[in-house]
Amino acid sequence: MYELFEHTADLGLRVRAHDLDTLFAEAGRCLFSAIVEDPASIRSEVEQSIELSGSDREYLLFDWLRELLFRFDAGHMLYGDFAVAVRPDGLTATVRGEPLDPARHALSHEVKAITYHELKVEQTPDGWLAEVIVDI
Amino acid sequence: MSKGAYSGPLEQVDTCCWRIPKSHRSDMRVDGLIFASEKLVEAIKNDQAPEQVANVATLPGIQVASLAMPDIHWGYGFCIGGVCATDPAEGGVISPGGVGYDINCGVRLVKTNLFLDDIKPHVRELVRGLFQTIPAGVGKAGKYRFDPKETRRLMGEGPRFVIDRDLGVPRDLDHTEANGRIDGGDPDEVSDHAVKRGSEQCGTLGSGNHFLEVQVVDAVLDADVATAFGLDLNQICVMIHSGSRGLGYQVCDDALAQFRNVPGKYGINLPDRQLACAPVDSPEGRKYIAAMRAAANFGFTNRQLLMQQAREVFASTFGRSWEDLGMELLYDVAHNIAKLEEHTVHGKPKKVWVHRKGATRAFPAGHPEVPEAYRAVGQPVIIPGDMGRASWVLVGAEGSMQRTFGTTCHGAGRAMSRTAAVKDAAGRRIDKELESRGVIAMASSRHGLAEEQPRAYKNVDDVVETVHQANLSRKVARMRPIGVIKG
Repeated sequence: MYELFEHTADLGLRVRAHDLDTLFAEAGRCLFSAIVEDPASIRSEVEQSIELSGSDREYLLFDWLRELLFRFDAGHMLYGDFAVAVRPDGLTATVRGEPLDPARHALSHEVKAITYHELKVEQTPDGWLAEVIVDI
Repeated sequence: MSKGAYSGPLEQVDTCCWRIPKSHRSDMRVDGLIFASEKLVEAIKNDQAPEQVANVATLPGIQVASLAMPDIHWGYGFCIGGVCATDPAEGGVISPGGVGYDINCGVRLVKTNLFLDDIKPHVRELVRGLFQTIPAGVGKAGKYRFDPKETRRLMGEGPRFVIDRDLGVPRDLDHTEANGRIDGGDPDEVSDHAVKRGSEQCGTLGSGNHFLEVQVVDAVLDADVATAFGLDLNQICVMIHSGSRGLGYQVCDDALAQFRNVPGKYGINLPDRQLACAPVDSPEGRKYIAAMRAAANFGFTNRQLLMQQAREVFASTFGRSWEDLGMELLYDVAHNIAKLEEHTVHGKPKKVWVHRKGATRAFPAGHPEVPEAYRAVGQPVIIPGDMGRASWVLVGAEGSMQRTFGTTCHGAGRAMSRTAAVKDAAGRRIDKELESRGVIAMASSRHGLAEEQPRAYKNVDDVVETVHQANLSRKVARMRPIGVIKG
């Protein structure tokens, strides 16, 4: 599950999941819920893979969201479906979505960047919790 | 708003200045100084922004004090409204967080020879024309497309690159900070990712707090300076607030990623990893500076293209050329930037890296970097407020050179978070409320007007009063919005 939370001039993404793979997938969904008013409007028409390396989980989450944001901002891609396999040294993901179609997608926020501020990936009694603040 | 209130020391220096003494923390190299009235300082203590001022005071090579303007609020690493000068000769650092994600976010004010009565019957048509013509909001590409090679050339040349293509006139450069081109920028240090994000976005407004407003001169506070600036009561102007778009965000993002292990490499201990920095005189520092300057030139060009599109809309609305409508650039000034400048530190002139993150350069009369047309009175300072109340034109004053490395405030500062503002606006029609106050506002996103509603901001008049009293910059004219376009 994910939610957006209040943070001064910007927005926070908060994600909880039983395992790391789901945590990263939900974080992707959460990011696009900040960008698009109705994430359910995103169709899975295009499939792409993403490969990232890094052993620090917080930086890996940061790099994952940063890559998705780049693909949106420079490539106009919206994603709604994420399958992520997190390894100790990185991740492999298959993401599905479609190019932005202004006739069907109402956009909500311009996310300028993912920030390091209070960036958190931690184990909880129920699984995992991640928090990321994005700059609006 | 952010975690808890500030509970550390804040000693009153005078009616508009407060000190966080170096003794507050063992890692502070200098004091923190916050410029604020007694009224504003109470609000400032409500979040951790003062602690961020203390954090910046730990940076190697910092000179005199870690400074904050009265519109200070919590930011990433550095607070918004923060000013920090570092001396490379003393191991001084450059910090991407001290500039911000939106490199060369700034403001431009364009004059017209129209007055309120000339424009009143046409405001709605004019605002609609601006809204339909100027790309605003998320994912909106501009009408100007530059391939990667052209984008790099544009970063090397600044607005001259588009002026050479008839999108403006050479005299626009005379009234742009640094003539729209900061020396030492190297477009080849800007990543392909950043170029890709920027190639469609030059000449687009963006979203968040960026705007284009049609404004009227509501009050003239200093007639002599207003005359020198060419401003008169009831005159119509256009204010543009935007930055370097996705290109600049990516340059900052790239630098923060590259700087992950840099502080450790140079033995710099940081209280917050968002303060990531490198010695000015290091390969990493030099690389960021070269890319940041190139991104800043992109920012000046973005505002040039936004101005040019506004000129075209005015021309078609009024059936006269923009030249005939007197649409001359008053000034364009950055408020997210780091620049190498000469300042007097403890009685000696020296070159320092002045980081301004949500703070505006405010050079006084006589400074060689003030355009010739304004040198006798001082540099125009443009302060955007909120879309219901006011914005301001100030002039740089002598106190800025003595106390703040030639710097003043940059805006109103938020009083509510975005989510709180949306909740506050539930069930209200912000556009109708604004209309009843004489403001026609159009936004491309559903949340745009709600998040940016006037109540979400502090009153800019209070901020401006403080910098006026502190003699960092003086009031010249108050501007009232009558037409607003937002992302």
